[in-house]
Amino acid sequence: MTRMRSLLGAGAAALTLIGAGCSGGGDDGGPVELTFWHGYTEADGDVLEGIVDDFNASHDDITINTEVKTWDSIDDTLLTALSAGEGPNIVAMPAERLPVYASKGAFAPLDDFYADEGGNTANLNPGAVAMEEVEGTKYGVPSGFVPLAVYYNTAMFEEAGIDGFPQTWDEWVEAAKKLTVDENGDGTPERYGVALPDHATVANGLWPSLFYGNGGGIVQDGEAVIDSPQNAETLEFWRSAIAGDKISPTGLDGIGSDELFSGGKAAMTVGGPWMASIATENDIDYAIAPIPAGPETQAASAIGISMATTVDSSDAELAGAEEFFSFFLNDENSVKWSLGSGWPPLRTDIPAEAVAENPVVAALTEMSDLGRPLLPGVVNSVDVLSAVDELTQKAVAGEDVGALLGEAQTEIQNALED
Amino acid sequence: MSVDNAPARRYRPPAPLGGRRRASCGGLLRRNTRAFAFLAPALIILGLFVVWPMISALRLSFTDASGFGREEWVGLENYATVFTDPDILNAVGNTLLYTVLFTPTAVIAALGLALLLNSPHMPFRSFFRTALFIPFVVSFAVAAFAWSYLIDPQVGLLNYWLGGLGIQMGNVLEDPTLAMPAVAFVAVWKLFGFYFVIFLAGLQDIPSSLYEAARVDGARAWSRLRHITLPLLSNTMAFVLIFAMIAALQAFDQIYVMTGGGPYGNTQTVVMEIYESGFRKLDIGFASALSYVLLIATLVLSLVQFLFFGRREKDLSS
Repeated sequence: MTRMRSLLGAGAAALTLIGAGCSGGGDDGGPVELTFWHGYTEADGDVLEGIVDDFNASHDDITINTEVKTWDSIDDTLLTALSAGEGPNIVAMPAERLPVYASKGAFAPLDDFYADEGGNTANLNPGAVAMEEVEGTKYGVPSGFVPLAVYYNTAMFEEAGIDGFPQTWDEWVEAAKKLTVDENGDGTPERYGVALPDHATVANGLWPSLFYGNGGGIVQDGEAVIDSPQNAETLEFWRSAIAGDKISPTGLDGIGSDELFSGGKAAMTVGGPWMASIATENDIDYAIAPIPAGPETQAASAIGISMATTVDSSDAELAGAEEFFSFFLNDENSVKWSLGSGWPPLRTDIPAEAVAENPVVAALTEMSDLGRPLLPGVVNSVDVLSAVDELTQKAVAGEDVGALLGEAQTEIQNALED
Repeated sequence: MSVDNAPARRYRPPAPLGGRRRASCGGLLRRNTRAFAFLAPALIILGLFVVWPMISALRLSFTDASGFGREEWVGLENYATVFTDPDILNAVGNTLLYTVLFTPTAVIAALGLALLLNSPHMPFRSFFRTALFIPFVVSFAVAAFAWSYLIDPQVGLLNYWLGGLGIQMGNVLEDPTLAMPAVAFVAVWKLFGFYFVIFLAGLQDIPSSLYEAARVDGARAWSRLRHITLPLLSNTMAFVLIFAMIAALQAFDQIYVMTGGGPYGNTQTVVMEIYESGFRKLDIGFASALSYVLLIATLVLSLVQFLFFGRREKDLSS
């Protein structure tokens, strides 16, 4: 019998433990403790931790505890954490993921914060602010906004005798042809002029950038606009350069293009600030240039990170989070964060000289105004991006562009109406 | 009927030895209480982590829940979408293709190797048995990462070796026709060790006297396999086939890691859709409905197999 009682006891203890795991903290007007999930794991992470420490030191009544996760795992665990009432108070995430959470009611609206002058939001890059807006309400504060740019191997440029970076698509393709090397003439170059991925990750920003360059787009005012003659022209132009002139391999994804560039098998790649550190690690002398202008305009899709406050937070916690946002965006921290993270300043009133000491940031800052947010306010960005992926991959592989654009138009429109 | 059939037809497994049954009513109650006490930890865990989520998911499948906050009752709308959405139909097609690629390959490979390594004349028997089981112990995600690196067109060892022989494999995971066989192959490599061990156990359960008798009657190896081994393995076969099929219908891990459902959704399976709907689009209601449809489909397919093998079993023992 004793054994039986202890068995039952064990079961009861297990239940109690499970129950205990579900209870949350109270809201009694005392000091506020906030949890902050982010995915900054490199040097940028250290700088962010520093800013949080400074914030904690200067605010007796608010303490922020950060939890570092990978960006993917933030996305995978936020839903379960929120549904268990155990979500963080502040969460940073890739900007194109914000609308779906916001539309499901996971984030607190921040319109009042933006209206308040003390929030330091008045001079934020308008492109960056656009990514925070869902159906007219702002749900986040940008922590990063950087246009995709061309990172190129200066030694290869010198060797090929190319002075100055190309300014237009035609010049860009010409330069890439010169840089493409097929020594044994087997039709597969040993070195490509440029690595242009046709699907996934960076490709999701590269192709919109190219569409913008020719006056096209993907979504405008909540409607699919991908099936346009401009986009057809863009796809034809780049297909002939990639598959015809072989300036880039086909079937490449973003990770593949990073590898080609870091392995010295491509002279140019399109990417974000992380390419600077990859190039340095691989002893590649590089420079950064904006994506050359298309026939209509010069634009680049931007990579963005947003910080939002979750509805799991009490009013006091929300106030604490907003206090942190304005601290994060103040003059001093804007510069500190930009220099430390390698991303351009989020505020347009930060003078270029303030970040001149970091050449990568200086170069990216100069092209900040070319940046356009990726699918701002689009809730079902998952299906939209997979439709664009399918379009670009099949177009580069040689399928009929007109038919592909028609299919993509239907799929994207369906995704928007979901 | 040929002589070959005779031994299998006559053979009946011995009935299990019956225990002494003399417990009184009070004793029975006491024994039951004690049994429940022993079962309680397992039952509580099962109840909390299996039964309760299942009930909860059933309820969610009739709502537009996102996992937090507001949710509304939408009736059968989610289920209607399951049967009409082209993406889901594509995923169902892919899952069936995957099942057809994976199940027979894994089962035949496992059976073949089990037959081979059941033979007492095989050298290094224990070594091979262990070696074949090892992939099953490796985590699926790890196996998938390892294989993606091996077949990577830029840095992959396999490509490098085959390149030396003049064979160009190309970018398998980006190839619309090869991606699915590739992910199915990784699953075969990873899982067949388990089926192999089960077959091995089944083979060792077959009394050697049957083979001796068949040999005396002049039965050749093929006849012994066809008329003794396979019929007496039918229980094991049923178990393995059902398990392999369930594993195939739930394909996710290596696909998530290796192709992410691409190229152009060609390796997007039903479970990938469930994950995407639930965790990327935050449409937990729809993901629950899709899970239930998959559960019912799996149950029905398993039942069909049970009935098929059950009837065969009956035919054999009558």
